[in-house]
Amino acid sequence: MALPNKIKKNIPLKQPVSPFQRREELANLLSEKGTFLPKSLLHADLDSGFLEFVKNELSISVSGVKIPIVDILITTQNWSQFVETWDFQNLDKNLEPPFIVTVRTPEVKFGDPSIKYNIPNRKLYHYAQVPTWDGQRHGMDVYKIPQPVPILITYNVIIVCNRMRELNQFNKKIIEKFSSKQAYQLINGHYIPIVLDTISDESIMDLEKRKMYIQKYTMTLQGFLLDEDEYEVSPAIVRTFQVYEFNDKVKSKKKKKNENLPSDLSITFVLGINSVELKSDYTTDMNISNTQNVKEFEVYINNNFYGTDLTKIQVNSGDLLRFEVVKINDQEASQILIQQKLI
Amino acid sequence: MDKRIPINRLGKFFSEKDFNLEISMGQEWLLGDMNYTCVLYRIDRNKIKTDDVYGETVQDGIIFLPPIEFNAYVGIAAPTNSLLGSTKVDQVEPGNITISVYLKTLKDLDIEINYGDYVGYYDNENFVRYYTVVNDGRVNSDIKHTYKGYKPFYRTIIAAPVGPNEFKAL
Repeated sequence: MALPNKIKKNIPLKQPVSPFQRREELANLLSEKGTFLPKSLLHADLDSGFLEFVKNELSISVSGVKIPIVDILITTQNWSQFVETWDFQNLDKNLEPPFIVTVRTPEVKFGDPSIKYNIPNRKLYHYAQVPTWDGQRHGMDVYKIPQPVPILITYNVIIVCNRMRELNQFNKKIIEKFSSKQAYQLINGHYIPIVLDTISDESIMDLEKRKMYIQKYTMTLQGFLLDEDEYEVSPAIVRTFQVYEFNDKVKSKKKKKNENLPSDLSITFVLGINSVELKSDYTTDMNISNTQNVKEFEVYINNNFYGTDLTKIQVNSGDLLRFEVVKINDQEASQILIQQKLI
Repeated sequence: MDKRIPINRLGKFFSEKDFNLEISMGQEWLLGDMNYTCVLYRIDRNKIKTDDVYGETVQDGIIFLPPIEFNAYVGIAAPTNSLLGSTKVDQVEPGNITISVYLKTLKDLDIEINYGDYVGYYDNENFVRYYTVVNDGRVNSDIKHTYKGYKPFYRTIIAAPVGPNEFKAL
């Protein structure tokens, strides 16, 4: 008899591979061979990383001979000094084709996400908590880093050669490398994408000049800046000490006295008036102590009949109290005397 | 059979004899006084190794006929200091060589200089620079090359410098 589907036949001893583990792996790359913090990523790091990309990923060989790659990023300043020591120059100290050079455009622009609204003032964010031990007690350090700033750096990778076969080989290498839109270079533990923008030709077409193919591949490195000088490491709370203060003198709770409440209350029904309303501001017990020229009286609380000729009335704060009297002699005033007591 | 038409232009004060005399005097000046010497490397177009598709010569694929030394009037342009395209590679590019050679010299040596041939010219005792012919001067009907319109007597050949990657003779 087959087991129901819900019953596992085997219990897995290892967790299955999941994207989470891959994220952990990537996070470990950031701090590999270093501190717990991600390694810094500045302009020079990105430049050297791109040069490594060209040297390792875009090198080609034609007819068994490797086409040399100029080992530096060519800038405005460094060529004349460097060319003196280069090893594939001719007797005129000129580079002898074929060769590949990498030129960086000096301007570095903002990357796409940063042109939108962003959190101001370079706020630091929690990155990790790292356990510490000072010889006596365990603790934690809190590592904070700022949000990286995305940037775009444009490079021109240029091949100078004499033969179409060399051009073809280099073009094939690049087209294949960027067939899925972008290539990646691992720089200081960060995967940095590189995209191919344009391909252009600058070959020398002048009839009476030395002829060369010059083909330019413009690439954009979509990097970001992360400066470790901006990182912050601060100790986390190790122990807390809470203090409470008590008053040990015991005092009996005194009843609140209200001096404004008169203990004796006199309600007078003048000539022609047989009904009086009053509102109670307190919760009290009222005792009817005496009456004058009153045959009988009725008591209403909140317009509800409460009783006739009562001797004690309980009134709550906010109650509307109404007395209606039947006078003995209608030609005279009547009076009800009440003693109040706060509850 | 080639038609041979006598040239009678400028006949009142110039003739074939005068023309030949001027050329022999010029050759004497060029060889005896100036003695500019070039070495011609004619391409062996039957044996040269070329790419099957593009027809470009492969590395070390240039085969040349036995080199021939000849005298000519030589002028070398000043080098130009320029960037190589947008590479920011600063090159001091040697100037082109302009070779003016008598047709009689070529005829005496039984040589022809064609587009793509190579010419070597010794800058000093230890260094020879090679040039490739980019204009073989074959069309020389202009007044300058025809002795004031009499008939062509020399060719002006322009050659551009090449590097060892393209041609290095031996």
